[in-house]
Amino acid sequence: MKISRFLAALAALALSTFTASAMDVATARGPVAVATMPKTVAVYDIAAIDTLARLGVQPAGVPEKLYLPELDPVQKGAAAVGTLFEPDLEALSALAPDLVIVGSRSAAKADMTAKVAPTLDMTIDGDDLVAEAKRRLATYGDLFGRAEEAKAAAAELDAGLAAARAAVAGKGKALIVMTNGPKVSIYGPGSRFGWVHAALDLPAAVGEVEAATHGEAVSFEFIRKADPDWLLVLDRAAAVGSNEQAARVTLDNELVAGTTAWKKGQVVYLPAPDFYISAGGVQSLGRVLATITEAFAAAK
Amino acid sequence: MPAVSRPLPWTALTAGLALAALFVASLAVGVGPMPLGDPEAMHLLAVSRLPRTLAAVLSGAGLAVAGLIMQTLSRNRFVEPSTAGTAQSAELGILLVTLLFPAAALWLKTLVAGGAALAGTAIFLATAHRLPPQQPFLVPLFGIVYGGVIGAVATFAAWQADLLQFLSVWTNGELSGVLRGRYELLWIAALMVGLAMLVADRLTIMALGREASVGLGIDHARMMQIGLVIVSVVTALTVVVVGMIPFVGLAVPNIVSRLKGDNVRGTLGWVAAGGAGLVLACDIAGRLIRYPYEIPAGTVMGVVGGAVFLWLLFRRGGHG
Repeated sequence: MKISRFLAALAALALSTFTASAMDVATARGPVAVATMPKTVAVYDIAAIDTLARLGVQPAGVPEKLYLPELDPVQKGAAAVGTLFEPDLEALSALAPDLVIVGSRSAAKADMTAKVAPTLDMTIDGDDLVAEAKRRLATYGDLFGRAEEAKAAAAELDAGLAAARAAVAGKGKALIVMTNGPKVSIYGPGSRFGWVHAALDLPAAVGEVEAATHGEAVSFEFIRKADPDWLLVLDRAAAVGSNEQAARVTLDNELVAGTTAWKKGQVVYLPAPDFYISAGGVQSLGRVLATITEAFAAAK
Repeated sequence: MPAVSRPLPWTALTAGLALAALFVASLAVGVGPMPLGDPEAMHLLAVSRLPRTLAAVLSGAGLAVAGLIMQTLSRNRFVEPSTAGTAQSAELGILLVTLLFPAAALWLKTLVAGGAALAGTAIFLATAHRLPPQQPFLVPLFGIVYGGVIGAVATFAAWQADLLQFLSVWTNGELSGVLRGRYELLWIAALMVGLAMLVADRLTIMALGREASVGLGIDHARMMQIGLVIVSVVTALTVVVVGMIPFVGLAVPNIVSRLKGDNVRGTLGWVAAGGAGLVLACDIAGRLIRYPYEIPAGTVMGVVGGAVFLWLLFRRGGHG
């Protein structure tokens, strides 16, 4: 593993002698030196693809499935190089990329792809998701010579955040729930979705949820007792499927109906693929924030 | 025949009291406040606590009886729905119906799961009968491999369709989603236990093998079908409504037969009660260990079942 990383660094150094400049990129595994302006890039991270699309960067290789309908044009313009969880190294080699970007779901395969080309692990995690997303955005801007676009995108994101913060202020406490078929789990501050509370100053209906990646399994009684003013709902099935019907059916019961959120119609179905699959992509973040802003602004 | 051990009335009484205590405890444990007489609390009881408790009782009793019947029909102590392909077939059935008709109603899912469980169990039993009876461990071994193959097919299909985490809803039994209106299908499992009571004597004879039971005037093929239907329907219902709870069908019939012998009429009630009590206890524990959050009953059962299994292996005695 160490050797492959060394080789990757070496390859990056070798590349930098060909191109004009190199830069230090802050990755999830520490700083890595890579050549700027890579021509052929393979990206195994939906958030990264989402952000690159905003910057007008078209990757040469992407996974077979991108989950977000908005990324269909990217998919059409790129070769398929395996899946998020299982890179197809032969296809990747055939593509001969200058750079590979992995993140979150594909991060575990970084050592494999590093044998083909210099690899950056650009995982964005839940602790400080928004700030990290902005850092990645700026990095991609510098790396691909799109610093201006990156600045514009960051300004848009800030505006979206400000709007959401204003809409959320003083409207009560929220609970983030995820439905998976007939079952529910909840997420609080500090969890993988905790950034919503942190970035928007949105009070949480339940204080001490442990920072478990997969949330805490709860009963509907728990939700009834927590009695949130707002329910932010992620439908895990919809994240990989089509609609939010399933979550609505799961939540539509006598106990959830007793909560303030349900009575006031303050149940927000978050755009599932944006929130769950491409968390941290600037366009996805924008859509999530817009959904929240719209719902909270409509409340009396 | 004076040797037939007639259970002392007070043993049954103690067991009944223990089950009743678990039942009441299950009603009392939960996140919401439960002061007696308060109308809000009564509503909570009717909507959430009672359905959940009944679901645990029905699925536990059903699975334990299904295990007993599978063990009788395969003439082997070490098989049960979750180790012999029945549960995996049911999961595969649900997965297929989810892939083909995502909006299918629960009863349709149950129907498909039941059909798949029936087919899967039939193949298991047909094959189990061809294995040499002098090597009793071949049957469970075959069951585990067979269940593993079907489970692998389901996993592969789910993987391809990005439904792996959706599949986990059924592979790990959990009662947190049970509410009024969402468990009633399980009453059919109670009907199946009733059916098993009706044919209990014939099941006992089936345990003697095909030749012996035919010689004693049993319609062997018909009994096999009835047993298969009971096992498949119970398993499919449990998988659809709460998910698979392992070990119940293995541990409970084994313990009961250690204590009470192999007469199905005599043991069936004990097996049903034992299964109900075990699942209830696991669900209560799952609700208390990380209160107010939950641990799935299937996970608790995995731990408890492992311990029981070791106890069965190491402690010889009773009727054994």
